[in-house]
Amino acid sequence: MSTVDDAVEQGVAVSRPPRLLARMMRQRQAKVGMVLTLAVLLVALAGPLLLPWLTGHTSTEFTGRPFTDTGVFGTDNLGRDVLSRFLDGGLRLIIYAALATALGMVVGVAVGMTAAYSRGRVDALVMRGNDVLLALPQLVFALLAITVLGPQGWVLVVVIGITHAPRIARVTRSATASVITEDYIRASEMYAVPKWKILLTEVLPNITGPLMVELGLRMTYSIGFVAALSFLGLGMQPPTADWGLMINESRIALVVQPWGVLLPVAAIAVLTVGTNLLTDSLARASANMNAGK
Amino acid sequence: MPGSGPAPSRRALLGGGVALGLGLLLTACGSPEASVLEAPAGEPLRGGSLRVGLAGGGAADTLDPHSPVSTTDIARVVNLYESLLYRDEDFALKPLLALSAIPDATARVWTVALRPGVNFHDGRPLTATDVAATFARVTNPEDPKSGAAALSILDEVKVIDDLTVEFRLNTPTATFDDSLGQYALGIVPADFDVAHPVGTGPFKADSFDPGLRSVFIRNDGYWRDHQPYLDELVILNFSDDDAMLNALLSSQVDAIGQIPLALLEVIAADPRISILNSETGAWLPFTMRIDKAPFDDVRVRQAFRLAVDRQQMIEQVLSGNGALGNDLYAPFDPGYAGNLPQRTQDIGRAKELLAEAGYPDGLDIELVTAPIQAGAVEAAQVFAQQAKAAGIRVKIRRVDTTTFFGDDYLSWTFAQDFWYTRNFLPQVNSSSLPTSPFNETHWDDPEFLQLVEAATTEVDETKRNALITQAQEIEYERGGYIIWGHPNQADAYQKYVAGLIPNKTGLALSGFEFRRAWIGVTK
Repeated sequence: MSTVDDAVEQGVAVSRPPRLLARMMRQRQAKVGMVLTLAVLLVALAGPLLLPWLTGHTSTEFTGRPFTDTGVFGTDNLGRDVLSRFLDGGLRLIIYAALATALGMVVGVAVGMTAAYSRGRVDALVMRGNDVLLALPQLVFALLAITVLGPQGWVLVVVIGITHAPRIARVTRSATASVITEDYIRASEMYAVPKWKILLTEVLPNITGPLMVELGLRMTYSIGFVAALSFLGLGMQPPTADWGLMINESRIALVVQPWGVLLPVAAIAVLTVGTNLLTDSLARASANMNAGK
Repeated sequence: MPGSGPAPSRRALLGGGVALGLGLLLTACGSPEASVLEAPAGEPLRGGSLRVGLAGGGAADTLDPHSPVSTTDIARVVNLYESLLYRDEDFALKPLLALSAIPDATARVWTVALRPGVNFHDGRPLTATDVAATFARVTNPEDPKSGAAALSILDEVKVIDDLTVEFRLNTPTATFDDSLGQYALGIVPADFDVAHPVGTGPFKADSFDPGLRSVFIRNDGYWRDHQPYLDELVILNFSDDDAMLNALLSSQVDAIGQIPLALLEVIAADPRISILNSETGAWLPFTMRIDKAPFDDVRVRQAFRLAVDRQQMIEQVLSGNGALGNDLYAPFDPGYAGNLPQRTQDIGRAKELLAEAGYPDGLDIELVTAPIQAGAVEAAQVFAQQAKAAGIRVKIRRVDTTTFFGDDYLSWTFAQDFWYTRNFLPQVNSSSLPTSPFNETHWDDPEFLQLVEAATTEVDETKRNALITQAQEIEYERGGYIIWGHPNQADAYQKYVAGLIPNKTGLALSGFEFRRAWIGVTK
């Protein structure tokens, strides 16, 4: 958009503000966040590939009696190897969380931009409906839907995605509202560019900052929700290895054999803290051109 | 419990976990100064208070002798009231308030002689009129109590004299004494009111807070010599196992009922704690509906039974604390078919049977499970793993307990259930007749029914037992249950508590018979 004449660019190249991601990454907390997130992602993505080569067991194989010291981190409530289950348990969590976030973003952004751009009655109608949905506690809604439809992967993704959408729509709408009054939008409108095209090519690129922040935030929540639902027995179904489920299965032996709980708890904690730090830095970078200097 | 109550936020969850961990650590460090490491021996000592922790119960808790629901209800009922007969620690039927219960030759009239010299908590003597009134209360058609189901055969309770009653039945029943031995049939005075819970039990009610605690005091006029030894019995409700276990480890309670079997070895390692490990006849079966595909083919049922590695089930699910099951219930019944060979895993044969039944490539099946009892969901997972080898691809569908026992209960094609110790005929009445209230497998085998009918009316014990054995052989060959084991019942108590002994009924802590318990050393 902000194309500058070649001549001018050569002259002021030094003072041109770095791009959003670069502004984010030059903050220290973003670096920490990136390391934490990547570490957990690595475990989750590579873990399933390393089995049973690394531990000698698959995640559903019995290696001894329940809650004994067999293996590096002992056994779980059914006598399965805790390390194997840990390595195998992160992938689905992250995939489901990512899909749910993506779904929520697509729906939320579409609704938010449409509402803001239509203005007037449509805007009011959509946003008030949105407010009603916002009043529903997310997890309670998810519990209800899963109880009715059964705990299946797609239900989990759709329910979490859909409950994210109103929150994302709200942010998108306010970001869009401040952009659509700009002159270049007026110009496009005068050239009779179709509305959807204006939204996609002119509005969307100008609200990526707040949307990226929202994306990070929702991703963090999604991870928490998927893990929490699995913990409550409504997410991943046994005997699947899953971090949330692992916490529930092994918590009766927290004193005796803590690894079955500690490993997944630590992984989920590190992952959410990591994504949160990244999102935080991103928010700062998008609000402030000098962030991290 | 998963699936109920408000969902904790992730933060609360993590915080809770950390707090719990720290709490346990503190508990472990600050062990009480007066810890007793030796079990008391010798003559029982009188006096003291026993605090018992039990999981379960809630605002609906009751002192009604005839409708106990939760574990804590049962513990209270057993100590306040007494029935005519009872099941002792070896699961033998023994007289309690009755001296004898004898059928006539047709098994239609049972004469019960009452124990003389028994008084209620308020001092009045126990008479035959009270017995008749009690049974009238239980079978009241307006408000039938939990024992009423087993008493549908009872026509009339006739008072013969002060200490003799006759039970007149509409159907000949040779094992009616078993029905009289239910703990939910405590004898109460004719003018009984739950607000004044008066019985003949070893303890008297002092105070009662539903869902929290109940305090009972010694019944000085109890009919057994010397018993009870305790001055006071306190029964405390706990909402979950963790809290209960922590209360025991920090000496806030003296005994707790039913600890997770997986933790047994670790708890036993604490020198202050004793474990009561009781063999039981309880069973946690997989239930196959014999009137629905694929289980309408007996070969499929047999293949599923052969796919189970029972020893591994007991190792993984019960941490080795259980007895092998042979697809038969009622292991303590005198007629139990102990002659049948122990069924073991035979993957080759299971595959053959499946191929013969038209599943040469194995089959997919959904197994519905719920945390209905410790070990249920775990057993489902172990089964899924074992059955894989036979080409049985199990998809586990875990639902919450409310859904499990909801509208679809008893119509799941392949699910689980849980039963406490019972003898054969009462168990058949509950679960294996077309008219049974809980016939999960939809079992309706004409030959089996004929044998059961014959056994029900057979007064001669030897002949009856032979009929029971034959009926069990049919169950072994064609039945819809996979009974892989009988879990033990494990309780834990402080070393200074004495008088608790293993009990086969499956009720916790010596069948809740605290009349025998005593405190060895001052705390």
